[in-house]
Amino acid sequence: MTVALHPRGLLRMLSRMGNILSKFSIEGKVGTIGLLVFILMAIFAPLFAIHPPAKITGDSLEPPGADHLLGTDELGMDIWSQICYGARMSLVIGLAVACIAGFGGGALGILAGYRGGSVDQALMRVIDVTMALPSFPLLIVISAFLGPSILGIIIILVLFSWAKPARIARSQTLSVKSQAYITAARHFGGKPFYILKRHIFPEILPILIVSLIGISSYAIIAEAGLAFLGLGDPTSKSWGMMLNYAVHFSAIYFTPYWLWWLVPPLLALIILLLCLAFISRDLERVLDPKLRDRRGEG
Amino acid sequence: MTILRIKDLKCQYHTETGAINAVDGISFGIEKGEILGIVGESGSGKTTIALSVMGLLPGNAKMSGEIRYNDTEISGLPEHEKDAIRWKDISIVFQNSLEVLNPVMKVGMQVCEPMVSHNGLSTREATQRCSELFHMVGLDPVWMDAYPHQLSGGMRQRVLLAMALSCEPKVLILDEVTSSLDAVARKEIRELLLNLQMRHGYSMIMISHDITFISSIASRMIVLYAGRVVETGAMKEVVTSPRHPYTRGLINSTPDIFIYKDMWGIAGDSPSGDDYAGCPFSSRCTQSIDICRKISPELTRCNDGREIACHRGGIVTLLTASNLMFRYDLLDGNSLQAVGGVDLDVMEGEVLAIVGQTGSGKSTLAHILAGIVHPDTGEVSFLNGKVHGGHNGHAFGGIQIVFQDPFSSVSSRFTVLDAVREPLDINNIGDQEERLNMSKHALELVRLPFSDAFLATYCSELSGGQRQRVALARAMVMKPKLLIADEITSALDVSTAANVLRLLKGLQNTNGFTMIYISHALHLTLKIADRIAVMKSGKIVELGNTHDVMLTPQNEYTKKLVDSRIGLSNGTRQEQTI
Repeated sequence: MTVALHPRGLLRMLSRMGNILSKFSIEGKVGTIGLLVFILMAIFAPLFAIHPPAKITGDSLEPPGADHLLGTDELGMDIWSQICYGARMSLVIGLAVACIAGFGGGALGILAGYRGGSVDQALMRVIDVTMALPSFPLLIVISAFLGPSILGIIIILVLFSWAKPARIARSQTLSVKSQAYITAARHFGGKPFYILKRHIFPEILPILIVSLIGISSYAIIAEAGLAFLGLGDPTSKSWGMMLNYAVHFSAIYFTPYWLWWLVPPLLALIILLLCLAFISRDLERVLDPKLRDRRGEG
Repeated sequence: MTILRIKDLKCQYHTETGAINAVDGISFGIEKGEILGIVGESGSGKTTIALSVMGLLPGNAKMSGEIRYNDTEISGLPEHEKDAIRWKDISIVFQNSLEVLNPVMKVGMQVCEPMVSHNGLSTREATQRCSELFHMVGLDPVWMDAYPHQLSGGMRQRVLLAMALSCEPKVLILDEVTSSLDAVARKEIRELLLNLQMRHGYSMIMISHDITFISSIASRMIVLYAGRVVETGAMKEVVTSPRHPYTRGLINSTPDIFIYKDMWGIAGDSPSGDDYAGCPFSSRCTQSIDICRKISPELTRCNDGREIACHRGGIVTLLTASNLMFRYDLLDGNSLQAVGGVDLDVMEGEVLAIVGQTGSGKSTLAHILAGIVHPDTGEVSFLNGKVHGGHNGHAFGGIQIVFQDPFSSVSSRFTVLDAVREPLDINNIGDQEERLNMSKHALELVRLPFSDAFLATYCSELSGGQRQRVALARAMVMKPKLLIADEITSALDVSTAANVLRLLKGLQNTNGFTMIYISHALHLTLKIADRIAVMKSGKIVELGNTHDVMLTPQNEYTKKLVDSRIGLSNGTRQEQTI
């Protein structure tokens, strides 16, 4: 317990994070800054957005101007503030799904890998089935069935994305478990909990974090997709919902409105996903256990 | 027939500062024609025994006990009767030094003197006999007219021998006759002594610290330590399988008995004077228990004629394995008998090497012995407790194991400090401060730096040799009674491997733990092992003293291993190809 919460441990973690960041390529750094901007935007949405997102604050379909930075939609709601609040929605769903699926799946995988035997076999079969299912069509069917709610969407996304981290964690656990230092720790009298906490989990965490980012991009796209298809919560402000409304505005492409109504949420979505992809790619490179071990040998 | 019997001999030297017990209750006998060796370090009372038998103890010595020569108690005899026995019946060859001979008298005269005074020969007869004696000991009689300083050490030793033999004694005592001789002269003297003894049939008592010399000549041996007998027995048995920890240490300190082995002295110093209670060896002994520090052990006879003075009955068996079997299930449904019926005893304080090719099951055996792998059948007991189900690695004085691969034996994510103190952390031994100190001490033992900067270094930044030392330090921090080293040098380059191996043996020697050293390299293990077990296909095909296994391998497979050494090329092959 003390190890994880120890101030020295925290400091070490921070310095490690700085270390990792310093090894990023330029794209990775740009991605990190971009993600930070989005996060700040989401947290301080009320400050950035001049107008409340769900209030009619101007005329319908106003072009961008001093009062409404990106103009307004058909109902006269401010687009910029909808983007800001939409970032909240995307990030919350991305983070929630990634954390629940990543750590939950990871924990299951570690358990299966460490225990082995029938627990392992059972979990592996469930993972196989889950991964074999066509996820997006099912997603649509289930969310249509459950009705529009954020919690519902999170649960569904989690159900479809825990299998991959579980599989990664299991295989990593199997390889770490056979290391001599685990045998040694067990010989010294280390209990399973100690070994999981002190040896296996820290060893797997970096790989888990990489897959966490992958899951969050998947969740953000899936949420936007569902919302775009009209399966999201109609009262919520999300980028997918904005796209949905915009494309359903009759003949939007014959008007200039798409420029400030359709493009901003689309761009926001693309930029966020690009940022995540950059980060994921660099993290994978930096945290790859094989690369790390080779460094240790040299 | 026992010609000379010594019973409960005690000798004290009184000095200004107090009394020193030089000999403390020694009993032994010597048969007619027997060669008896008395071995001990300097200060163990060897010479005092010789002097008391001869009745030549200095004035400040106080002696008690019985010395019987042919049923006559001689220690209590008046001086002139002792004198009659001296030279004629019992004579002594002193350690060669210039003081023993009179520097202003020709050596021939000095040899003649006892013959004239004891046998009543005339000077002419004596001179005649003297020249015969000179022939006998391999000296040209022309040297009779030389003064002692004109002779070499070997020649002087021969003169002393001639002097001792002059009256044809029945018992000859030789006190450190070889210690100042060079190797060639030593060998000549040995041949001479054996020849003369065979020809004349007298009994010999050889006193020396030179166990090699004694073992080459005597048939029985007495090992002395601090004025006491610690072990007696037939020479060959005592040397090849010493039972007392001291005897083993003495043999391990001797370079030319087992020529392949490196020599290692016994850790610590022998006690001086009376500042100890209990067994005199207890402070240097690896297996001493409470009683050893309180009561001094009696010399007791074992059933095979050996006598040992040890509370624990000699070197104890630390680990016993019986009928160990282990089978690996392979993926294709077959199985592999990795260990097939191994019985093994590991003695306290010894280094046992288990040697075999890759795949012979030695690592599996090591894991079973450590308690990491459960055998299918058979059991291992350690200090009379079962290894499996027990917690041998959880506390001080247990079994620790160091693994082959330095890169996986400690986690790369750990700092050096984390790695070394891990066992202490797991078992909650000591507080933070104590753990830190114990870790530093362990690092010091394995000759790694223990500065704060090094302690905070990640193991991933260390070299293979350093990581293996960290793994070793981590085992040492638990103060093991048995250390199992599983191929720990095979992944290291030769120089690092040599360093780690020497370090390991040094640690074993000073800390006195028992070690099982697993290796595929027979010639490497010869350097450190006391005994070697050769393993093939999960079975121990040969087990014995390192020297015997190397020089006279019995098993075909062992012979193959011994012959597997690749020697230095003499270059002829290259010339042919050119």
